[in-house]
Formats: sequence, structure tokens, C-alpha cells
Amino acid sequence: MAEAIQKKLQLGLEKYQQMQKDVSKSMSARQKLEAQVTENNIVKEELDLLDTQNTVYKLIGPVLVKQDLEEAKATVAKRLEYINGEIQRYEMLLKDMEKKSEQHREVLSSLQQEYQRAQGRAVGKV
Amino acid sequence: MFRKCQCQLLDVDIWNVVPFTFSCFLFNSSSMRTCQTSRKLPCSDCVVKGCEDQIQHWKNVKGDYEVLEDRLKTLPDKVSYDIMVPFGPLAFMPGKLVHTNEITVLLGDNWFAKCSAKQAQMLVEHRKKHVQSALDDLHKTKKNFEARVGFTEDLEKLSDGKGGYVDIREELEGVVCKGKRRVSLKPHSKPKTEAIVKMEEEEEEEMLNAEGSKRGVLSEEELWARLDELEAQEQQEEELDRRFDSADTNGNDDTTSSSSEEEKDEEGDRPAERSKGGTTMPLNGSQVDRTALPPRDGGKEEQEDDEEDDGLPTIHFSHTVEPKKVRINTGKNTTLKFSEMKEQKQQAKRKKNNGTSNGHSHHGLHITSPTDIYRLFVDVKNGEPVPRKSILKSRSRENSVCSDTSESSAADFEERRTLGRSPSHDDNTYSDTGSAITEEDAPTGELPVPTSRFQAFSGTVVEKEPIPLSVPQLTIAPPALPTIPERKLEEVVPEAPQEAPQEAPKRVSKFKAARLQHKGP
Repeated sequence: MAEAIQKKLQLGLEKYQQMQKDVSKSMSARQKLEAQVTENNIVKEELDLLDTQNTVYKLIGPVLVKQDLEEAKATVAKRLEYINGEIQRYEMLLKDMEKKSEQHREVLSSLQQEYQRAQGRAVGKV
Repeated sequence: MFRKCQCQLLDVDIWNVVPFTFSCFLFNSSSMRTCQTSRKLPCSDCVVKGCEDQIQHWKNVKGDYEVLEDRLKTLPDKVSYDIMVPFGPLAFMPGKLVHTNEITVLLGDNWFAKCSAKQAQMLVEHRKKHVQSALDDLHKTKKNFEARVGFTEDLEKLSDGKGGYVDIREELEGVVCKGKRRVSLKPHSKPKTEAIVKMEEEEEEEMLNAEGSKRGVLSEEELWARLDELEAQEQQEEELDRRFDSADTNGNDDTTSSSSEEEKDEEGDRPAERSKGGTTMPLNGSQVDRTALPPRDGGKEEQEDDEEDDGLPTIHFSHTVEPKKVRINTGKNTTLKFSEMKEQKQQAKRKKNNGTSNGHSHHGLHITSPTDIYRLFVDVKNGEPVPRKSILKSRSRENSVCSDTSESSAADFEERRTLGRSPSHDDNTYSDTGSAITEEDAPTGELPVPTSRFQAFSGTVVEKEPIPLSVPQLTIAPPALPTIPERKLEEVVPEAPQEAPQEAPKRVSKFKAARLQHKGP
């Protein structure tokens, strides 16, 4: 009886650890996105500081490709929007995962209690 | 920011790069965040250190940008510069720096812009703003966490036994809380935890140094542990109460007998009394120990600065006489439990009222009941000892008194009324708090008795009708009443015995005392 519970406990633990890993992964992905947001914001601001006389280049691989200032501004704006959307998505994901992990934690704790009880009973029997 | 200049000689483009450091910053902040997420509570210490590292990093960046700005200012001064061009990691070769006004700037995210030196300067300024804001944020967070670190340092000091923190301990001699304890109306009622919390507070106040407050602030776990301890103790005491429940009358008799024996100063009875009839004992030991405090006969023991195992100097403290707590009845709220709040209020009031008489010393007189107090503390007017007036409220409240009438049997209650209250004065004076009302009323036929006993009564106060007279009594009563010593750090031995009388007589005991006085002398 106790062994069965123990196995269950182990399985639960592994599952919980997996969930934690997923949570941390999405967390780090979200942080990356945030970094990108900041960066793109700065680029946008600096592009605003320039005028059309300055040529704007985009580094694509090893090549610097000339770009139009307005085009560059639009591109950067679009990218910003995209990143923000991604962040939202990751937020939702994170919330769900946290909820799930909480539920799982509770399950684990109840399992643990059961296990301890079973152990106590076993000790008593012995 | 890239600076491209053409070397005429070799037609090589040379890039001067100032690394784009924002990503670094963001990565660092994210690492801080991961640090936080990995642990539930980031250690304030590591947060502070992280902040310091970040601040250093950003300061470096700021320095770099400033150097760059200077360079940009001077660069367009000349059309071309003769320089030593780095050729791989190990070699240089002479060359020229041309197009000194054309700066290709990395805007971020693989975007470049060609601008003049002045425009580049503007961009640098813009970036410096960002750096400055980041620095400010870091400073703020650092400040916030530095406070926490201070706390932890204090805790360390505490545990090391240095820093002037002293542990005050009082050892109990395993005396069981006697008497009926107030039963909380609900099993897990608030008063218990309140009492514990208040006791914690009292302890904090009473600790010699700031240790107490620090402890209160810091050791949440200790608090919880104490709560558990106290709950266990309370359960034990409840069991004892159950056992002693049946012995209520006996307890009453004991208390009354003890009150009658006050003069004999039989302290041996006190333990017997207390085992049966006491009120919430924990509050007695408010100084140090929350558990039921045993009445301590004899002097206090103080061992200064004993080094304990935990490294804290300890002062061992013991009470001489533990006052028995009396159930105190307010007019409206008849409280079964002697709550700490009340006690504090009473103590505060006592302090107010007994400001003058604080310096009283009993010179070895033992007080076991309010009667004693009243007896001992008398004003001398015209060569005659005049009893002090009680400040208690009208007697009518007696009837609304706490419902632990199990102790005060109905018979007692009637006796109270009929016999009048010889010890009333005593009890009236017992609790100096205005809010406390004892069941004692002014003595009626008891006057001769008290006078013989106390010399306090010159027969001036005769109460034939309890209620009306009690009021005038109270009004006439001089404000100065015998000092009820606080249960706080009472280091004066003579004052120690003062503690006993207030709580010693229970309701029942007072009336028993009255009865006995009637019967006795």
C-alpha cells in the first residue's frame, strides 16, 4: 500500500518538476521578448531623431542593405507590435501553467500525506 | 555604434565599435529575475549585491558613452587623421582616418544609420538618458533591499550574543495553573492568539534592550512556534480545569481561607489556591514566560549576563510573588478571559492612579488579596489611618459580572448582597483601574471587622445600601490608591508583593472573604 503511494508520489513529483521546467522556459522566453521590446523602442526613438538625409542600413547576414528611413520606421513599428503580441501570448501561457502547477502541487501534498499515513500504519502494524 | 573610416592606404574599412550594451543590461535584469523566480523569496543580500553589480556595469557604460561623445566632438576637427591602424591582433600599420564626419551608427536590432558626428552625438545623448534611468532604478531597488539586509544583520548580532542584546528568562518550577481558567467561548477563539500576540508584545516591551522588538519583528517563526507551545499548554490547563471544576467550592474555601490567612502570610497556601482557582495565568507571567507562572516566594533571582548556549547573555528573572489574576468585569463586557488588553489598560490606569504611591514598600508585608492592600495602604489623617477610597464603579455592575458564576455560587452572590461587603474596600482598591469592578461592595456590618483588621476603617464608610453608597464612595475616594505594581519589569523587591493582591482574590474569594470576615473576627 505504501509502495503504491510512493510510486504515485514519485510520478507526481516528476510531473511537477516537468511543469516547473516548462514554466521557467516560458518565463525566460518572455524575458527575452521584453529585452527585444526595449531595444526596438530605442531604435524607434533614434530613428525619429534622424532625418531623411541619413541613409539607414539593415544588416542582413554579412550585408548592409540600404533602407528607406520611413520604411525602416514602419518595419520597426511592426516588429514592436509583433513582439508585444508575443508577450501577451506568453503571459497567458504562463498563467495557465502556474495554475496547473499549483493544482499539481496540492495533489502532491495530499499524496504525501497519504504516504505518511500509510507509513505510520505500517510502522504501527510492525 | 560603428564608426567607419576609410584607410586611404589600404582601402580597408575599419570599424570602431562601441558595443551595444542594452541587451547586456536586459539580460542581466532577466538573470536577476530568474534568480528571483528560482527562489520564493530572494535573499535581500543577493539582491543588493546584484544591484551593486548592475550599477557598476551601468556606470562603466556611461563612462564609455562619455568618452565616445568627446571623441565625436573632436573628430570632425580635421579632415583626415594619421593613425596606426590595427592589423589583426598583433600588428599595426600606419594609415589615415578619413570621412571623419560620417558615422555609421548601430541603432539596435541590426539597424544602422549613417549620420554626421553631431547627429551621432545626439544619439549618444539619447542613450545616456536611458542609462541614467536604469541606474536610478537600480539605486532605488538597492535602497529598498538594504533595509532588509539591515534586519538580517541585526538578527545575526542577536544570535551571536553581541550587540548588547540580552535574553531575559524566567524559570518556572512546574506549578500548574490553579483555579479555573477562563474558557474561551470558542475553541479556537481569537483571545488566545490575541493574548499570545499581546504577550509577545509585552515581552517586547519588557525586554531590556531593543531585542524584544527586534525579535518580534524578525522571528515570525518563533512566534508561530510559541503559539503552538501556548496552545499545547492551554490544552493541558484545560484538562486541569476540568479536573478542578468539581473542586470549585473547595477552591473558594481555600481562597477565602487564604485571604483570612493573609496576615499569617502563609505563602504555602498560595500554590494551593492557585492550583484551583486562578484566572488566566499566562498573563501573570507576562514578563518572560507565557505559561502558567508559579507563584514565587522569596526574592527575585537575577543572574546578569549569563552566557547561554545560544550565545546570548541571559538574565534569569523570577518573580517573588505572582499575583493572582482576578476576573475583571467591565460594565458591559463581562469578560471571562483576562485579556491582555484589559490588563494593559488596567496597568496603564494603575500607573496613572497610583503615581504617587508607586514608591510604597511593604517592608516585608505580604499581600494575598485586595483586602491586604486596602489594609496596608492607608492614608493617615489626623493621626488616624483612613482607608483609601476605591475608584471602582458602582456596585450595580456586580450583577452583570462575568458569568463564571460557577465559582461564585448563587449563595455567594446573595451573601454579597446581604452581608455587605467588608472586603469591598479592599477589593475596590485592589484594582486601580477605573474599569475594573470587583464584586466587593462597601462593608455594611463588616466595618468593625475591617477596622479591627486594617485599622483603615474608622467607621466612616458605612454602607447599608450597597448600591447608592458605593457610588459616593467611589466619588469620594481619593485618586491615590495603593499601587498595583505592574507586571512589567518590577525589579524592586518590596513592590513585588504588591502584585499578588490584585489578582489573588477571585470573585468568589472576595465574597468568601467577606463572609469569613463576618464570621471570623
